[in-house]
Amino acid sequence: MATVNARRSARGARFLDPAVLARIGSLELLAKSVVDGFLTGLHRSPYLGFSTDFAEHRAYMPGDDVRRIDWRLFARTDRHYIKLFEAETNANFVVLLDSSRSMDYGSHEVTKLDYARYLAACLGYLSNKQRDRVGLVTFDHELVEYLPPSLRPIDTMLHLLDAVDAGRPGRLGPPLMRATELLGRKGIVALLSDLYEEPDAVLEAVGPLRARGHDVIVFQLLDPMELTFSFEGASGFEDLETGEQIPVVPERLRPAYRRLMDEHLATVAKRFSDNRIDYALLDTSKPLDDALFRYLLARERMRSSR
Amino acid sequence: MSFLVPLFLLGLAGVAVPIVIHLTKRQRKNVVRFPSLMFLEKIPYQEQRRRRVQHWFLLLLRAIALALLVFAFARPFMDRSDLVAGTTSGPREVVVLVDRSYSMEVEDRMEAARTEAMRVFDQLGPLDRASLVAFDRSATVLVRSTADRGRLRSALDTLRSGSDVTRFSPALRVAQTILEESELSAGAVYLLTDFQRTGWAGDEGVRLPTSAEFIPVALGTAAPENIQVSGVSLPRSVDGGRERITPTARLVRRGGDGRVEVPVTLEIDGQPVQTVQVGLDGDGATAVTFQPVTVSRPHTRGSVRIPPDAVPADDERHFVVSPGSALTVRVVGAPGGGPDPNLYLQRALGISSDGRFRVTTRRGNGLVAADTEGVDVLVLNDVRIDGSAAERLRAFVDGGGGVLVAMGENAAWPASAQDLLPGTPGAARDHDTGRGSRLGHLAYEHPVFEVFSGPRSGDFGGARFFRARDVTPSDSADVLARFDDGSVALAEFVTGRGRVMLWTTTLDAYWNDLALQPVYLPFTHRIAEHLAGRTEATPSFTVGQVIDLADERALEAAGLVAGAGEGLQEGAEQVALTPSGEGVRIPEGAEARFLSLDQRGFYTIRPPGGIADRPFTLAVNVDVEESGLETIDPEDVVLQVRAAAGGSMGSGADGAQALRREDQERRQSLWRWILAAALGLLILETVLSNRASRSTTLASPGTGSLG
Repeated sequence: MATVNARRSARGARFLDPAVLARIGSLELLAKSVVDGFLTGLHRSPYLGFSTDFAEHRAYMPGDDVRRIDWRLFARTDRHYIKLFEAETNANFVVLLDSSRSMDYGSHEVTKLDYARYLAACLGYLSNKQRDRVGLVTFDHELVEYLPPSLRPIDTMLHLLDAVDAGRPGRLGPPLMRATELLGRKGIVALLSDLYEEPDAVLEAVGPLRARGHDVIVFQLLDPMELTFSFEGASGFEDLETGEQIPVVPERLRPAYRRLMDEHLATVAKRFSDNRIDYALLDTSKPLDDALFRYLLARERMRSSR
Repeated sequence: MSFLVPLFLLGLAGVAVPIVIHLTKRQRKNVVRFPSLMFLEKIPYQEQRRRRVQHWFLLLLRAIALALLVFAFARPFMDRSDLVAGTTSGPREVVVLVDRSYSMEVEDRMEAARTEAMRVFDQLGPLDRASLVAFDRSATVLVRSTADRGRLRSALDTLRSGSDVTRFSPALRVAQTILEESELSAGAVYLLTDFQRTGWAGDEGVRLPTSAEFIPVALGTAAPENIQVSGVSLPRSVDGGRERITPTARLVRRGGDGRVEVPVTLEIDGQPVQTVQVGLDGDGATAVTFQPVTVSRPHTRGSVRIPPDAVPADDERHFVVSPGSALTVRVVGAPGGGPDPNLYLQRALGISSDGRFRVTTRRGNGLVAADTEGVDVLVLNDVRIDGSAAERLRAFVDGGGGVLVAMGENAAWPASAQDLLPGTPGAARDHDTGRGSRLGHLAYEHPVFEVFSGPRSGDFGGARFFRARDVTPSDSADVLARFDDGSVALAEFVTGRGRVMLWTTTLDAYWNDLALQPVYLPFTHRIAEHLAGRTEATPSFTVGQVIDLADERALEAAGLVAGAGEGLQEGAEQVALTPSGEGVRIPEGAEARFLSLDQRGFYTIRPPGGIADRPFTLAVNVDVEESGLETIDPEDVVLQVRAAAGGSMGSGADGAQALRREDQERRQSLWRWILAAALGLLILETVLSNRASRSTTLASPGTGSLG
């Protein structure tokens, strides 16, 4: 893969595959405007702020800035109303990247972690280009790296992405809780993980982000072998995170595995949907741009259906 | 545990093959590193775990079965000799050889032998085994290879001295066999005997295993003084028509000093009839002649006794005599009025002290009924025989009669009966060279001439033969005498049960002067006895001899009087009563019926349940050779046995050990059980694997197995 080859020659810039970004760029503004409506450029900020676009009035509450009182309306109604505007501002975009050992798996050239890097870089670049504040959180069973959202060039983020190492077992709950605490300002949070936990545990981990008002997009990254379990021959299967090993004859187990995996994916999708969390399953064998494109199309369909 | 073919144990490496393959397979098997096993672990795999255990079990079964096969081929056995070697005094195979010859009666040597044997048995270890062998001329295993001292003691208590002579080699060979077949590695041979010189002839090829100890135990000290009755002769005479014997006993004194007076008693039918006192010097001998005794009844028992001394067995000599029966000789002479051609022959046969021939004569050609009826021997002295006479003669010969044909001028023989003669007679021929012919060749090995074979035993060279008939002998004839020109003088031919002899010249002094020679009388007597088939009855036998009761001639030689042995010659069942009173059944039959004479005294043979007045009786005496009590140094026997073994005590050990190992393995045959166990395991493995395979098919959610 070209990006993989570029990795060694141009650290920090290897994710910026022009071909990929060209396709993403054509959809980017539309996508973000559909998602949030608070855009600088294509983004729409979920925040209500000072802007020229009037949104609504509300009754003055003690403590409000008196400069925001609509004196004209006071003149007509003799009441104090605060004039609220839809602020057109830069959004916070934070990528939560799962760097647990289970992400270091790939049945082909690209591991899930690689794929997550590419995706995070693309999203970050896209957001940065739209002058969003881009941040990065890597975690396994705890928070590993935290790059606060900023408008600075995303070199730092790309550097951190490059340095991510999947070496430890992972959990979703504790690190996401910590991230929730760190991410004070609402924004877009993209979670890139394989979500190898029970659906309830996943939702329990992601739920606080959503509760804090973040617009959460969950990308579940799975290798095609994880989806199809098309192994051949009796083998010992070793858990990447725990090291546990069990004997497996894949031919015999495949139906049951697929059934369980499908049930798991369906449950996860349903739980996210029920909690208004965007969710997309990404096959790491599929092209990256294709995955983004499919996701953005899905967001667009969701917007249309609203 | 030892192995006869340990090289097969290399096959145990084969057991490792499936395990190595399994381990190699495990090492090379794909270990798939998978992100998470959370889904796989949700799939039940209890079934799979249990099957893994089963498969390990099957693998174990296969490995054990293969190992058992290897063990079976290696021929395992429990090597007891190794156990023996590991102990300080390992079990031994002890063989005790006890002399039971009659010389062991001397000075209670048998009791001493029993004591020594008991001492040996008492010293046996708990794992030792012992054999008891009694021997004289032959060896008898009384108890073989047992640790049961009670049996040994019982056998020892029943041991008695016998009547036979000592021979060491049969006993030592028996000991050699016992030791070689023993599973024990150590052995000992105790030879308990008086070591008579006559019992050992030197190197007799005895090969005792060199790992065995040979311990001679000499019983008795110096040779004691002994007087023996070494023999009895029984010359017969006829006095006043009564047949009498004059027993003459020979006494020998071995050792002793000075002259001793010995009363010698003659017993007839168990009753002492005469006692003669004789004086005997040290190492001297003498003969005792008793008064003649009339023998009027068949199978008369007689014994010559002296008072018992150191060796009682040789202090008596038994014999059996019966009245002799005269042979009927019929002499038919040529007719005519001249001198009686039968004169010389009749006179010669009439001269005997015991009247053994009853001679009748007739002159005339041809044969009449009286010439063959009740006749033992028929002499045709220059007689013409026609066809009818020849047929009568053939019947006589086939019935067992003997015929002497003397051919002179008158004799003629029909061509149809040429097969009755030992040759074809031709014309008479004068032996006119010089002063006539002489007998140039005599068959001295023949019974007729046997008595003349010794020096000064009769001279046929003085007889001159002037004329004789030429005879061409037939192929089946034996020429017993030839003239010095090579022509036949006497020829014999056996036909049927009888014999025909042809004398090619006359029996009187007409054609020769043999009738005038001293040898004429014994010559004619021998011919008549030979033609009658008469043999001298044996008055006594020696211990160790065997008589065939089915052999008519042997019975006759043994002194059986015709008509006295009821049913014996007809092959009827008989019972022999031994001198010790033991009955020996002699089964019915015409085949050989042997009776072993192993006791001294009188054997009587009679039909079972029958009470014969004078039953057939055999007298049996000891071999006086055993009375020579001179001894040899026991070390001579030891050295010669070792010399016979090649002088290297270890040379045969390996072979004997190997033999024992093979023998142990063959007896134990552990390989059969191990092979059966291996087959059983393989069958069990097949059943289990089939069951496991079936359950795998049914249990679809099961995961795979590494076993």
